Amino acid sequence: MSFRKASVLPGFGLTFGFTTFFLSAIVLLPLAALVLSAASMHWSDFLRVVSSPRALGSYRLSFGASLLAASINVVFGFIIAWTLVRYEFPGRKVIDALIDMPFALPTAVSGIALTTVFAQNGWIGRYLEPLGVRVAYTWVGVTLALTLISMPFAVRAVQPALQEVQRELEEAAETLGAGRLYVLWRIILPTVLPALLTGFTLAFARAVGEYGSVIFIAGNLPMKTEITPLLIVIHLEEFDYQGAAALGVVMLGISFVILLAINLLQAWGRRRHVQAAH
Amino acid sequence: MSIALDQVTKRYGGAPVVNDVSLEIGDGEFFVLLGPSGSGKSTLLRAIAGLSAVDHGRISLHGRDVTHVAARKRGVGLVFQNYALFRHMTVADNIEFALRVRRMPARARRERRAELLRLVALEGMDQRLPAQLSGGQQQRVAVARALAHKPGVLLLDEPFGALDAKIREELRRTIRQVQRELGITTVLVTHDQEEAFAMADRIGIMNQGRLLEVGAPHELYARPATRFVATFLGAANLFLARRTSEGIQVGGKTMGSAERSPGAPEHEVVAVVRPEEVEVAPMRDALASRYLGQGVVEDVAFTGALERLRVRLDESVDAPLLAAGEGEGSGALQVTRTRHAHRGFEVHQGQRVAVGLRRVHALPTPLSSFTACAPSMELADALSHQPLLAELVARMKTRIALRIEPALGVADEPSVARGEFFGTTVIAAGEDNAKRAEWLLRRGVKDLLVLPAHATTPQRVLIHWIGEAARSATLAVSASVLRHVPAEAVYVGIFPGEGDSERHSHGMRELLDARSEAQATHGLEMRTELHFGDVAQELTRRLMDAPAQMLIVGVTELRQIAAGLRGLLDGARWPVLIVQRGAS
Repeated sequence: MSFRKASVLPGFGLTFGFTTFFLSAIVLLPLAALVLSAASMHWSDFLRVVSSPRALGSYRLSFGASLLAASINVVFGFIIAWTLVRYEFPGRKVIDALIDMPFALPTAVSGIALTTVFAQNGWIGRYLEPLGVRVAYTWVGVTLALTLISMPFAVRAVQPALQEVQRELEEAAETLGAGRLYVLWRIILPTVLPALLTGFTLAFARAVGEYGSVIFIAGNLPMKTEITPLLIVIHLEEFDYQGAAALGVVMLGISFVILLAINLLQAWGRRRHVQAAH
Repeated sequence: MSIALDQVTKRYGGAPVVNDVSLEIGDGEFFVLLGPSGSGKSTLLRAIAGLSAVDHGRISLHGRDVTHVAARKRGVGLVFQNYALFRHMTVADNIEFALRVRRMPARARRERRAELLRLVALEGMDQRLPAQLSGGQQQRVAVARALAHKPGVLLLDEPFGALDAKIREELRRTIRQVQRELGITTVLVTHDQEEAFAMADRIGIMNQGRLLEVGAPHELYARPATRFVATFLGAANLFLARRTSEGIQVGGKTMGSAERSPGAPEHEVVAVVRPEEVEVAPMRDALASRYLGQGVVEDVAFTGALERLRVRLDESVDAPLLAAGEGEGSGALQVTRTRHAHRGFEVHQGQRVAVGLRRVHALPTPLSSFTACAPSMELADALSHQPLLAELVARMKTRIALRIEPALGVADEPSVARGEFFGTTVIAAGEDNAKRAEWLLRRGVKDLLVLPAHATTPQRVLIHWIGEAARSATLAVSASVLRHVPAEAVYVGIFPGEGDSERHSHGMRELLDARSEAQATHGLEMRTELHFGDVAQELTRRLMDAPAQMLIVGVTELRQIAAGLRGLLDGARWPVLIVQRGAS
């Protein structure tokens, strides 16, 4: 089996070489350094660091909140994308531009802004407080911050897919007797499902790595509202580089497993779609 | 009656896309809506399916008023140009979609699916995905899917548009066969006249949102009522001709006596001659048909079964050709001949031939050509370039003649030569419109258009007549104008005095009579309005209401202008078309 395939554009050798080099220098090399750094620890030290109750608590929060945030974004990102794609209304362009704001904002600013609004004496927080709902300095606040900063990924992933859903498909379903929910469930969602999964993946990946916005609103109580990236920074501040690297490797591992799982799911879905088209 | 449309109107941003369409389609009929793109045919189909709401009018299916019923409850099957198959579902799931929605048990679904796949000749394709099928097969699946729930009406929106010629042919046959087998009422939308001829029981031709004519294919082809239909349904040579008591005269020679109209005064008409109805021969005596004149063959093109010629008639033949073939007035007559005729008499470029016409059809439309009339050449020329007039001339594919009348509206001595005014006479609106109008009408002008310099295409045409004798002619002229202008027609009925209840109901009856006559005899759909008071005052008030309006007013006697319309005409800021008929 030949490795190369004829292409309109020449220079496969050059581009492939560049790809390998670029990936190695930018992604693989630093990651390898991280793993190596952690590997220089003694096995029992490694286990002690990564399975301390504080570390376990932080994983739960980090991955739990990230998954939750990504899920929320898939639902609401879909609705926002739908609104932007399907309707013409004054200010549509403005809203479309606003979606990208979390991209451009330094994440610390988002954190401060969220804290201002949701702290006990904040604009919204002060009304939630008597209801017994606390946002700031709880896992709810963490999830909120992660949702905010990962929201654009979900919207931008679904938008083009929705644009591709022909109106005619819905109209065809309608003339065949299907109600709106039925059309949404059986026609629109299956069609945009791959895009939704991509949006979920991107949002999740972004949320897991987030640091700046969370530390302001989380309050950082060990075991309760401490995320793994913060724990890593704490290790670093104590000049415990190996400990930080160990936690980093664990994050890397879990993230990789989750992303791989989603990718496999997607590939499986695609195969089912255009099963042996030729 | 399977489908009944009553004055259906659909607007997008004010402009009517479907304009007052009324139509009845019988049980089991295969009806084709034919028109150029943007004529409103697809919008009308979508309105029948319930996918777009109408702004006015009613739609009933099998006697049930469905105007406000959602698409999913109308029981129609719709097939789209781009198939619109659900790509993530197999053929089986696609076809069973409507049945699943209706919660039909699995076994019954399977049986129905097998039956449908047999019908569209796709047995065994159940488990394929749409992406694994060819375009023609996908469209067959779409047809099967649309028929699954046994709809009362099958609607096809340009279903062959995305397919190549051969597949198209095959699918046409399949659909016609399925339609016959099921006896299902079907409406097909297309812009392809050949497709319409091949499939339709009846054809309805749409242009600019209006349903112009409805009829059997051969009827429409042989005897169109309008210029648009004549030229849209295949190539046509359009002549300015005359209708006399003996028949239709082209170039001063009587061509056919079939369409004789004894008693009617001689007048100008537009005559349609299909290219295959033109005969060429080496000399006059060899013609089997009526001789028109001599001409020179300009071009010969071989197209397989047929041979196409372009023949330029000699200058001496006084038969103004408005349009020939599919192109605009290139001035040469289009002729098609069979191989058989070609073997009998071979022609080549530059050859002189005798031209005869086998069959001539005169359009019943009262507007044939325009004559721009002014006191001087410059003014007449300027008038002929007025935008609305230029647009009308272009749309009607007709011509405009210039006529100088130095004494227009001034001198009134009878010594002025009373040469005939051809077609519709046009004058520029000025101060003394009424006086000039009278002057012209007294000299035999039948239709007179008073045109302000800045007038543009009207959005609304108001129709009124003074005296019942002018009614039929006014409606005929209005129908003709409105076929070429995308405006809405409103008949303004005005009755004297106050509108008490008795007068009111009398007025309403008159309006309904007028409306049904317009619809039945002239194919004109119009709204009606009832007013009480002075005619000129009410019309003026109505014309001031909104911009871009035009008035068509029928009169029977000249003094009606002096008496009633002077105030309306003098200094008019809107186009007024005066139709003078009846006792004068």
